[in-house]
Amino acid sequence: MNLIKMLHTRTLNLAYNALKNVKKVAFSSDTTNNMDTTYMEIPLYDVEKQQPLEKRKARLHYQSRKRGMLENDLLLSTFAKKYLNGFNEKQTMMYDRLINSPSNDWDIFYWIVEKKPTPKEFDNEIMDLLKKHAKNEDKIALRQPDLH
Amino acid sequence: MSALMKAAVSRSPASLASYLYRNIHVAASGATSKDASVTTNMTKAYTVIDHKHDALVIGAGGAGLRAAFGLVQEGFKTAVVTKLFPTRSHTVAAQGGINAALGNMEEDSWLWHMYDTVKGSDWLGDQDAIHYMTKEAPHAVIELDNYGMPFSRTPEGKIYQRAFGGQSLKFGKGGQAHRCCAVADRTGHSLLHTLYGQSLRYDCEYFIEYFALDLLMEDGVCKGCIAINLEDGTLHRFQAKNTILATGGTGRSYFSCTSAHTCTGDGTAMAARAGLQNEDMEFVQFHPTGIYGAGCLMTEGCRGEGGFLVNSKGERFMERYAPVAKDLASRDVVSRAMTVEIMEGRGCGPEKDHVHLQLHHLPPEQLKQRLPGISETAMIFAGVDVTKEPIPVLPTVHYNMGGTPTNFRGEVITHRGGADRVVAGLLAAGEASCASVHGANRLGANSLLDIVVFGRACALTVADTARPGDPQPPLAPTTGEASIANLDSIRYANGSISTADLRLRMQKCMQKNAAVFRQKSTLEEGT
Repeated sequence: MNLIKMLHTRTLNLAYNALKNVKKVAFSSDTTNNMDTTYMEIPLYDVEKQQPLEKRKARLHYQSRKRGMLENDLLLSTFAKKYLNGFNEKQTMMYDRLINSPSNDWDIFYWIVEKKPTPKEFDNEIMDLLKKHAKNEDKIALRQPDLH
Repeated sequence: MSALMKAAVSRSPASLASYLYRNIHVAASGATSKDASVTTNMTKAYTVIDHKHDALVIGAGGAGLRAAFGLVQEGFKTAVVTKLFPTRSHTVAAQGGINAALGNMEEDSWLWHMYDTVKGSDWLGDQDAIHYMTKEAPHAVIELDNYGMPFSRTPEGKIYQRAFGGQSLKFGKGGQAHRCCAVADRTGHSLLHTLYGQSLRYDCEYFIEYFALDLLMEDGVCKGCIAINLEDGTLHRFQAKNTILATGGTGRSYFSCTSAHTCTGDGTAMAARAGLQNEDMEFVQFHPTGIYGAGCLMTEGCRGEGGFLVNSKGERFMERYAPVAKDLASRDVVSRAMTVEIMEGRGCGPEKDHVHLQLHHLPPEQLKQRLPGISETAMIFAGVDVTKEPIPVLPTVHYNMGGTPTNFRGEVITHRGGADRVVAGLLAAGEASCASVHGANRLGANSLLDIVVFGRACALTVADTARPGDPQPPLAPTTGEASIANLDSIRYANGSISTADLRLRMQKCMQKNAAVFRQKSTLEEGT
């Protein structure tokens, strides 16, 4: 089996070399011919994957602290520190879906600060709690809390 | 399949990723013999899973994804190792756009864009790299458009371009240029979405929520990286002929920064630990008014609308530094003045380490109308009611111009014996790298351009110097051991200072001693 594979590879490499010599990779080449630009669905984070509650919460703490944008880092990490450990299974799933299903974190931010209406699937008790959290009624300066 | 067979297949270029399982016994060097519990870890076995690919990309932000997509398109079997789901990369925070001299709004030329970039860099940028970046910009943007990135359009259907600071026509003599291409206010997200989606149409393997620990170096050649799976703690050695470092900036080494908490400069640290040099680390872009502690920006519009800065004595100190422009002086003047006030002991708060931005003398209606969102931002992140109290602010790190040095082809270079040399097998792109296109100061909308042009350049360079399926000798069994020993010593460290405390101390030290002023005396005091 290996021998066939090796032969096969060698032929492939020879063919590739021949091709490469013809079309010398130009540094300013345009590589856009034959692109398929139909709308792309990107994979979603697998929220439904079976996971023990403790492990899910540990993961959600990490994911709440690392959002790719400062505003959500601050809001979600402080929120998770305050509430996540007290959540039951159902609430934890709601929170997991909220922070892991939307593709663009700015959307999550705009929903929380009520700049945009929250879509139905995320409009639940967790979102209400988050909106209240973002009002900063205790008037404290937000900083990412220590993990331990 | 026997282990031997697996090994044979993994060397076969046409095979998909195959894994080799084996145990490395590591003697943890950091442990002290006094502690019995640590001693038992001396012989702890760590299981390491080996992977082999043609190319490896560390980081899945704009630069990493652009490189990965370019590589898989050329037929390279590529692994992408990332500590975050790709759309959670810091690129998502870039709402502005991408500069490119497409000339859709008025006559434009890449030479004019180049002039602006060289000038904007305080004449300290690498002009070859800037030449390459600005000349390739239109190609890179049109490519993204063809890949399906939904740029905003003009009524005729061309890519709409807007004005951005620092962009001029005719070598600074033709007035404001319209050069910035955007996808409404979600350019960064759209870029990530498009490139992630396109790369998945090819043989691109993502290792998501894997944290890269170290580069694997053998005799000065980069052979890949070692990473830890954050979910189950398993260790993985990723072997590749070419490794692309695209790990982003290092804003979090400072106490106050606008970047996300993910921007911890992991790649910069990995390169340093591998014995490579970093370039231009002193070139750090500051924004004068970030909220103390949080880092969120109070726009310059605050001062434009009549807001001003005060120190702990209640003085409007900008009058002393810029008698005419006062609080409307340029960013660097304001940042320096604030820092001098703090250094001379007139800072506010218990640690005297910030100043106050006062807006409450302005009529509330004016605040609401002219500075929408400011009162909300101040309330959410600082707990401050701007109509009643001042906002604590300090100069805040916005962008790191420095990083791992590369040439304009994306190849990492190191300086030894008076000459620059390419580090075999290692390339870098994005904020982690320093092709020195930004010199001492990055212009707005040039950072997204940097990541797409140099991410693409890395892929083109690899395509130029390697072939898919090139044979790779197996890694030495000891490669990566030092990294595991380091991990082990940190895991079982039992010092009295917590990680969080240590980090905060170091961040405050950087903010105090290596921020706006970086002269010998302050730097020495910091170390």
